[in-house]
Amino acid sequence: MTAALRYELRMQLRRPDLWSVTAVTVVLLWLLTARSLPIFLSEDPRTAMIRAIIICNVPLPIGYAFLLADRLVRDERLGVAALLDATPSSRPGRLLGKYLGCAAATALPVATIYFGFSAVYTIRNGAPQALSWALAMFATITVPALLFVGAVSLCGPLVMPTAVFRVLFVGYWMWSSYLVPPKLVPTLTQTVIYPMGGYPIQVFFGYRGGHASGGSDWAGPVPGALFNALRPAPTVATAWLSIAVIVGLAALTLSAAHLVCERRTR
Amino acid sequence: MRIQISHLTKTFWRGARALDDITLTVPTGMFGLLGPNGAGKTTLMRVLAGVLHPSNGRVLVGDHDIATRTGRSSIQRTLGYLPQDLGVYPDLTAREFLDYIGLLKGLDNRTGRRRRASELLEVVSLTSAADRKLKTYSSGMRRRVGIAQALLADPRLLIVDEPTAGLDPEERIRFRTLLAQLAGERTVVLSTHIVDDIAQTCRELAVLAHGRLVFRGTADDLTARAAGHVWTVATTGPAPGDGVLVSALPQPGGVRYRVVAGTPPPGAEPSTPTLEDGYLALSRQREITPAS
Amino acid sequence: MRFFDRWRYEARRAGRATLLAPWLVTALLAAGATLAARTAGNGAIPRTLLSAVEMAIPLVVGVSAASLVGRDPAVELQLAMPAGYRGTLLRRWAVTVAASALLAAGLCGGLMASGWWARWPRTHGVLLGQLTWAAPVCWLAGLGLLAGAVLRGPAAAATVVTAPWLLEQLLPDQLQAHQWSRLLYLFATTGGRDADWGPNRFVLLASSVPLAAGAWLLLGQTQRLLGGETG
Repeated sequence: MTAALRYELRMQLRRPDLWSVTAVTVVLLWLLTARSLPIFLSEDPRTAMIRAIIICNVPLPIGYAFLLADRLVRDERLGVAALLDATPSSRPGRLLGKYLGCAAATALPVATIYFGFSAVYTIRNGAPQALSWALAMFATITVPALLFVGAVSLCGPLVMPTAVFRVLFVGYWMWSSYLVPPKLVPTLTQTVIYPMGGYPIQVFFGYRGGHASGGSDWAGPVPGALFNALRPAPTVATAWLSIAVIVGLAALTLSAAHLVCERRTR
Repeated sequence: MRIQISHLTKTFWRGARALDDITLTVPTGMFGLLGPNGAGKTTLMRVLAGVLHPSNGRVLVGDHDIATRTGRSSIQRTLGYLPQDLGVYPDLTAREFLDYIGLLKGLDNRTGRRRRASELLEVVSLTSAADRKLKTYSSGMRRRVGIAQALLADPRLLIVDEPTAGLDPEERIRFRTLLAQLAGERTVVLSTHIVDDIAQTCRELAVLAHGRLVFRGTADDLTARAAGHVWTVATTGPAPGDGVLVSALPQPGGVRYRVVAGTPPPGAEPSTPTLEDGYLALSRQREITPAS
Repeated sequence: MRFFDRWRYEARRAGRATLLAPWLVTALLAAGATLAARTAGNGAIPRTLLSAVEMAIPLVVGVSAASLVGRDPAVELQLAMPAGYRGTLLRRWAVTVAASALLAAGLCGGLMASGWWARWPRTHGVLLGQLTWAAPVCWLAGLGLLAGAVLRGPAAAATVVTAPWLLEQLLPDQLQAHQWSRLLYLFATTGGRDADWGPNRFVLLASSVPLAAGAWLLLGQTQRLLGGETG
């Protein structure tokens, strides 16, 4: 597993696409935040960091998913799958190593962008606590999301063409983002399986408001909406539950991928 | 159809020079191209096929200048090309693949095109598998499909890069014979590592090394480079240190070595040189090695 | 006969999945709209289908176009053919666009037949109304082909296509604030101003031409294509 992790990390970091996607995403983020950036920089550290992470969590996971989408199916295409299967290393170990290595490499630009902003804020405002907030938010909001998106992106193209997966992912991400009001359209917004981390946002960091759909809650039941069974009251326990569910779904997805790969080579 | 290459240079990104001032005339008939890995053989083949453009120099195929779009198009209309790394469309059957390539080559008549495809599938012994998808084919079978597609439009110029890779000995001999029979009024440029293929089919050949032309002449001329330098010795000891080791054949009581060397190893007997010996002698003299 | 044979093969090379993707996406949207209809009212389905026509289908086309370059296993053979590879790629691109165009036109026809089309003034009638999908489809398809030709990596090229689409989804108000951005707004039918619709559709169509032309020029550099997909 460690060998696979090391080399998948290396290959992904060397990939020109990683840097092209990062460049496009940085431009996109800049366009999205050009007006609100001065406002962010003048807010208190916790609010500034949470608003930055909310903004980043819309476009960055899309580029992240695009970059991971072909990593698993690539082995078959390049003709190395048989070679790797003939080694004594276990397939689950290699899958996990590939997942963690590719995910870590692809998360590097994401982390750089977010912590870059935190560093700018810290230096500008002389507020080192911003970095602590940034670290806590990244760990509880972004990391589970990226683990989930990473697993889905590695595995989705096993069952559909990669281009189709990319389009469907954009649709899924938009649908499951805070932009779609749950009362109007059935969505996963504000549920425990909401990948944008609504429960940690509201419970751990006390943030409310800022929904593009006009609401203020990030977690919990929405009167009249579907899927309220997945929206328990926001508490510390349900916030940790949300993180566990998202990470658990990632693990489940990887297990399913392993089964699909096993079936194909039998 | 003669090929005249004048001062051909091909430089890639960051200045990597794959072909360096090559001047060469390829006559009608079979012509062999030898060289170590990274010598520039495949780059030269790609330039001749119009896949890559020369950085400098001139290439005339018949009366057509490969540097111009009309020239390149005219050449490609009479070209059969088998690349070293042959990619196929796995979802097509062999028959469909040939039909598609035939369309791309301008074979407009559907009946004629399909008949030609069937004929060629017979020639490469793939008739029974013709309606199976290419993803089910072995690498040898794919190579045979590649040979078939190269012959589709009855080409006057055939460029084949490692054509017998993956073929069994019988298939190799059959394909070699086919190429030699086709040569006639055509030009066939055969690039391969298998010296025996060239020995059996080509009277004239060239050797490339590090992008440069290091030999141009007949197979006999290249073989003569090793005259008086080929030795065989049977020994229980280690292989002779001097010279180039050609083969090592275990036998009762030791190993029989064949070497190309300036001075005979102790106890060695002279042997009649082959083309492979001549190539190795040239390698030793010119210190040509695979590109690092 | 040759004409049809050739296009048939290029349609296969474009990929069955690519051709069916717009249908799949539209079906998923329609299913979601059906679920939403109980809370959002009867207009949810027609509005969703209009959104599919102007938003989802063009994105599908753009991403599909972005993945046409760099994935051909027989590219070296193709480059040695008298039928230029640029023309071959352009055929695949045209098939991709046409398949989506057929669906989009069909959806418009359905909306017209149901009477919903006439309820939205910005749809501008039967013929002109086809620009609802044609303009963003052409623009994103041109951008996708150019991005694919430049980057030769489907992930990066798909990101380039998705970025303006996403930007215009997330900042509709800001983009409506300036004349120049209103003219490049992909969703003028579902979200723009009435007065700008005609010029907007024209500008999108016109600007798709240099995008496709740029791709055409780049695809003529065979050495770049021989390298295949980057990464």
